[in-house]
Amino acid sequence: MQRRTLIKAVTLAAAAIMPALFAANTLAQTTLRIFTGGQQRPDVMRKIADEYMKRNPSVKVEVEVGGATSEAQQQYLNTVLSSKDSVLDVVLIDVIRPAQWAAAQWAEPLDSYLGADKPKLLAGYLKAYVDANTVDGKLMSLPYFADSQFLYYRKDLLEKYKRPVPQTWDDLMESGQIIMQGEKNQNLRGFETAGAPIEGTVCTYLVPLWGEGSEFTDAKGKLNLNNEAAKYPFQLMGRLKASGVMPSNIGEIPTDRIRIDMQSGNLVFGQTWGYVWNRLETDADSQVKGKIGVAVLPHSKGKNGATCIGGWQLAVSAFSKNKTEAVKFVRYLSSPEVSKMQALMASHLPVFTDVYKDPEVLKANPWFQFAAPVVAQARARPVTARYQEVSDAIRSNMNAYLSGTKTTEVALADMQKRLGPVFK
Amino acid sequence: MVTDTAAPKIKRDLSEQALGWLLLSPVIVLLLVIVVYPIATLVYNSFFTIKVMEPYLGTPFVGLENFEKALDDDRFWAALWNTVLYIVVTVPGSLFAGLGLALLANLPFKRQWPVRLALLLPWALPLVFVGLIFRWFFDFRLGFVNDALVHLGIGAVPWLTNTTMAKIAICLAIIWKSSSFMALILLAGLQSIPKSLYEAAEVDGADKWTQFREITLPMLAPSIFVALIFRTITAIQTFDIPYAMTGGGPGESTETLAMYIHKTTLDFLDFGYGSALAVLLFIVSMIATSGYLKYTQRSTARD
Repeated sequence: MQRRTLIKAVTLAAAAIMPALFAANTLAQTTLRIFTGGQQRPDVMRKIADEYMKRNPSVKVEVEVGGATSEAQQQYLNTVLSSKDSVLDVVLIDVIRPAQWAAAQWAEPLDSYLGADKPKLLAGYLKAYVDANTVDGKLMSLPYFADSQFLYYRKDLLEKYKRPVPQTWDDLMESGQIIMQGEKNQNLRGFETAGAPIEGTVCTYLVPLWGEGSEFTDAKGKLNLNNEAAKYPFQLMGRLKASGVMPSNIGEIPTDRIRIDMQSGNLVFGQTWGYVWNRLETDADSQVKGKIGVAVLPHSKGKNGATCIGGWQLAVSAFSKNKTEAVKFVRYLSSPEVSKMQALMASHLPVFTDVYKDPEVLKANPWFQFAAPVVAQARARPVTARYQEVSDAIRSNMNAYLSGTKTTEVALADMQKRLGPVFK
Repeated sequence: MVTDTAAPKIKRDLSEQALGWLLLSPVIVLLLVIVVYPIATLVYNSFFTIKVMEPYLGTPFVGLENFEKALDDDRFWAALWNTVLYIVVTVPGSLFAGLGLALLANLPFKRQWPVRLALLLPWALPLVFVGLIFRWFFDFRLGFVNDALVHLGIGAVPWLTNTTMAKIAICLAIIWKSSSFMALILLAGLQSIPKSLYEAAEVDGADKWTQFREITLPMLAPSIFVALIFRTITAIQTFDIPYAMTGGGPGESTETLAMYIHKTTLDFLDFGYGSALAVLLFIVSMIATSGYLKYTQRSTARD
């Protein structure tokens, strides 16, 4: 009798618990943690993640926000990933990083997850981004948004002085001088580009080099700096500084300072990234709303211009414990739908050719029409796993030159000496 | 002379010794884990090639190769000399500034707390904040310093884009930041000097300067000594302030050894070479502090 009651009790209890267990099981959530930098609009990322969670109730997405600069973010990530920490599932990485992440085996190659979908999926992207995310034939990451450096200029001032949008660096210098003399505004500067010892300063060297028709490395991947063209970026910056068009403190100017100076109406020409447009047009304190034009960066006379490619990529951490779910989330984040959402909410440049043709997107960002071909032809900074060393050699020598502590010859020689072992 | 012959002999039994070890063991374990293990790993790693970005190299044992590379590395020597410069300038600099502040704070104010608070603030600020504050301070166009110089008719100075000026600016920031810590230690020392000494000196007709030289300085010597050791060790590790102010620029001309180690390990992910550089910094640190230790031994022997 007693035993039977016991069995009954147990069965009843089990019956009572079962549904609860079952329910708990369906509610069992996968938590995905995504890392993004402070300048890549984490607020927009959160809205996109909310949308994803609404559609996939079994997934909970946490957005972790890191440092403002690419370097600060990578230093944090280096610590997390060299210790093989599984805390992050998806990481937003700078376009210069896929080769490093592949070498360090931090990113899960995506090919096997995409399977037969891969060719169809990749066909929709701007080709430059398929190339940027493919390392030795393996797809290391998928693009989140595109970017490149543009020439921002003051439409109103160019019109006032009847100057054309500069095609060559000489045009830019001449227009800069004319406008600065005409305006008689002590705070007005002609041209700014990143000059502090930071990542952006690498492009301050590369853009004029490419615009002179030269290459950083030759077809075989060997360093190609033993020529006159390699001196040109230094000489050009030297001339711009000597003419007064570029300010004498260019060596302490980081990327966002160009935006700040432009926004306060104190800059005629700026070489900087796509995020600036949105800030200049929408920030409450912007003095230049409706006065800004965007163009392709200048080049040498008779040569073709080229710009530095930027943008942010989504990598799945090799140490993630939820790789399948993480890849699904990445595919959502790297979809035409999200590309459009970003274009509307943050004026992030789309990574899909078709999104550039979307009327809604173009209405919000009229300059995308022009930006699409620029981004499509943007060039990659040297692709190597040892990119950090390459970047350091270029930016610190450019910074030393801009500050006037090294001559062209010394800066170039020091740069080559540092780069030699990397490109041997 | 010695009169305590009657002192009872303490009989130590084994269990007491065992208890002692037992009580010490948590500390010993803790020190092994957080001091001995990392340092041992660091020294061990310095004999290997460990390059995360070149995994095909493997992690072979290379003996002293990393150290040979360092001795041959211009950037290492430049960073070392910069570090030495910061030590030589900012350790005495913050001692004098700190002593001045401590003497001021020791004056018989009615309200002492505002002075004490002002003394504490720079010490309480994180180093990197100080770096950022001073970077704006010395900014060419927007900075307060240049604004003042322009108003004085001297004209703007390119503080952070000129090697010499950048070093001066960094030293000033470090001295500002660290002198408050020096002042705190010295203030504690000043307050432990008995007032009666000064009263006696007053009676004997000694002027303020003589009082300072003959009473304050000798009585303060142990505090000065402790403050100097602490300051020297932190000066050897100088990182945050130049990192935030110049990022090592112009070029790499204001880079310290700690910054170069950070760059090698955390940016370039070259753990072998980075470890060797860190071992070299450790050696520099040992040399500097052993100088002080020698001095203490001499002064205790003299006593």
